[in-house]
Amino acid sequence: MEFALSEADTAFRSDLVGFLDRELADGWNRSEHGLGSAVYTDFSRDFVHTLAAKGWLTPHWPPEYGGGGQGAWQHFVLGEEMWKRGEPRGPQYMNVNWVGPSVIKYGTEEQKKELLPPITRGEVFWCQGFSEPEAGTDLAALRTRADRDGEDYVLNGQKIWTSYANEADYCFLLARTGSVSDGRNGISVFLLPLRTPGVEVRRIDGFVGEHSFNELFLTDVRVPGNCLLGEENKGWDIVRRTLAYERVGAPRYARAALVLDGLADWCRAAGLLTDPGVQEQFGNARALCEAARVLVYRVIDERAKAKEPSPMAYQARAAMVQAERAVGDLALDVMGSEALAEQSPGDAQFRNSLGAGIAAGSYEVQLNLISRLILKLPKE
Amino acid sequence: MDFERSDTQRALLDALGTLLNRHAGPQRCRELTERGAYDHELETELRAAGFLDVFGEAGAGPLEATLAVEQISAELGAITPVPHLLVLPALGLPAPEGPVVLADREGPGPVRYGSEARQILVVGADRCGVAELSPDDAEPVPSAYGYPLARVVARRPDDLAPGTSQTMMNWWRVGACAEALGMMQSAFDLTVQYAKDRTVFGRALGSFQALQHRLSEVSVLLEGVRWLTYEAAFRGATAESSAVAASHTMATLHRLTRETHQITGAVGLTREHDLHLWTLRLQAIRAELGGLRAHQRAVVTSRWEVTAA
Ligand SMILES: Cc1cc2nc3c(=O)[nH]c(=O)nc-3n(C[C@H](O)[C@H](O)[C@H](O)COP(=O)(O)OP(=O)(O)OC[C@H]3O[C@@H](n4cnc5c(N)ncnc54)[C@H](O)[C@@H]3O)c2cc1C
Repeated sequence: MEFALSEADTAFRSDLVGFLDRELADGWNRSEHGLGSAVYTDFSRDFVHTLAAKGWLTPHWPPEYGGGGQGAWQHFVLGEEMWKRGEPRGPQYMNVNWVGPSVIKYGTEEQKKELLPPITRGEVFWCQGFSEPEAGTDLAALRTRADRDGEDYVLNGQKIWTSYANEADYCFLLARTGSVSDGRNGISVFLLPLRTPGVEVRRIDGFVGEHSFNELFLTDVRVPGNCLLGEENKGWDIVRRTLAYERVGAPRYARAALVLDGLADWCRAAGLLTDPGVQEQFGNARALCEAARVLVYRVIDERAKAKEPSPMAYQARAAMVQAERAVGDLALDVMGSEALAEQSPGDAQFRNSLGAGIAAGSYEVQLNLISRLILKLPKE
Repeated sequence: MDFERSDTQRALLDALGTLLNRHAGPQRCRELTERGAYDHELETELRAAGFLDVFGEAGAGPLEATLAVEQISAELGAITPVPHLLVLPALGLPAPEGPVVLADREGPGPVRYGSEARQILVVGADRCGVAELSPDDAEPVPSAYGYPLARVVARRPDDLAPGTSQTMMNWWRVGACAEALGMMQSAFDLTVQYAKDRTVFGRALGSFQALQHRLSEVSVLLEGVRWLTYEAAFRGATAESSAVAASHTMATLHRLTRETHQITGAVGLTREHDLHLWTLRLQAIRAELGGLRAHQRAVVTSRWEVTAA
């Protein structure tokens, strides 16, 4: 057992920190904005070019696909430093973490050639089209169809809650190619250019930070066969892998810890940080952020050793939700009505934390999986 | 970064396991409890096998000593593992024979093995103090919580070097975490097993989602405790890492105590069932160093450099 990064990874972290201190010097602290807000998205467009130029957008990808061939820890350090500053890559963290890697693993040479370079250059936004009005937690109930027509597929259906769809160029989309009775065995992944005729994006007004939800309506959307990723009807396996990445790919505890530091500054200035009751809440929230961090590290250690993803990721994800909620609650408890002011140090965190246990696999789903796969409790 | 046990760690813990098989475990714990006794035999064996020297040993160190404290506690070894394996070595002091008392102030409340203790370490403002104890100075306190307790009156302690109070508290915190971790894991495993074995309404108790979720949440907390504790030991018990670990550990201890007893029903409240061997002793750890709230405040004073209230 050893709880220190290798020398190379430590050196990478300190280079990266120096770089970010310079690049983000201009008062960049966006923790007052919600994740997914326009501020991030706009900023990310230029910022990722700078990152890409340093080779730090996709450092963990294999060199043949524009990566730096670096290990899992370097990838993770990168993510952690980004989230510690509020995630200046905006939605592009998804491209880098799981969209690209899925294409690398399951894509054809043609797909790789077409789709990967724009990601490594930081030129495209992707979104994730999984959820549907009748398929949230029970994702395998999805109904959006993709029917073969000669060399093409024709897509019909509706997606919902699709973050960034209003800005994205592509959607990593799940559709049913088999029958509904096939359940998980009849689902395929499509790499859908959103500018294809028949795709309509509508905004949904939400209040989880400045996060914009969208609906995606697909009406006779005709795409060539090469939009299919991997084999037909084998999409569920891809998704399982994809979600394994997504669950811990975003070090949300690092952002929660950033907000907590901001709240500590606020409380210090307000003369509250010496109050024992306030201190106790801070101690609790900080401990939950740290617990989430070590549990995520444990998963990264597995990944670095190229082991199959284990159910430990579910514990890590649940711990992140606990941390995000604790920081959000603290903000409202200690700041009083000041917390309600838009862009107060805790405003975005509280509203984000309401969605923390819902997006990317709900909290209850994590608990179900822990019961079954770790504690081995009998099925209901 | 490496979350797996090394060969050395595995070998060390295997050897410790063999020793504890003979000198610890629920059965022996029950026998000793009847007599209200400290396990001198276990201490002698641990000393002879070198476990009291692990902290400062080349090839091993504080993390290995912490793992040993965890395992001794999981197996209910009736000694004072935290001073012997962690705090005294961290202060460069030899471990005397017999129990050692850790106190966060002079004239502490009831302490474990107080009647038999030979030595007391007291946290001072900056320097920690060490004093001999004699059985005449101890006043036994009847208690249902597993450990023989006594109030002790220390003679004027000899002050150690400047800064030793912080070192002592930090390692004490890590030690309390390791003890609690070992005990909590045992209590938790017992409860999960009960949930699988017990049938209600024609199905396993543990098949009800309401209970599954509570057990799963405890498992998340417990794993957090595990890795925060190991990491704090690895980092040499810095003020912040040890306070963070202790905060999380004590919060988990509160929750785990409630859940394990709720889910094992009435049988878990009997002396016949083993659960209490761990859960009652855990409450003694809960009370140390001012408890959860004090640990949480210590997180703030170390992380955000605020003076203690
Ligand atoms: C901020 C945010 C961003 C999102 N971004 C995207 C995106 O980009 N792309 C996308 O496809 N989707 C996205 N989603 C949608 C998200 O994936 C779904 O909300 C999620 O899968 C839950 O589905 P649902 O909302 O339909 O809730 P439901 O499935 O209706 O569940 C409601 C509640 O019941 C609980 N529940 C459900 N089943 C069980 C069970 N078996 N046992 C116990 N409890 C259960 C759930 O945990 C939840 O708390 C986003 C959601 C949020 C909040």
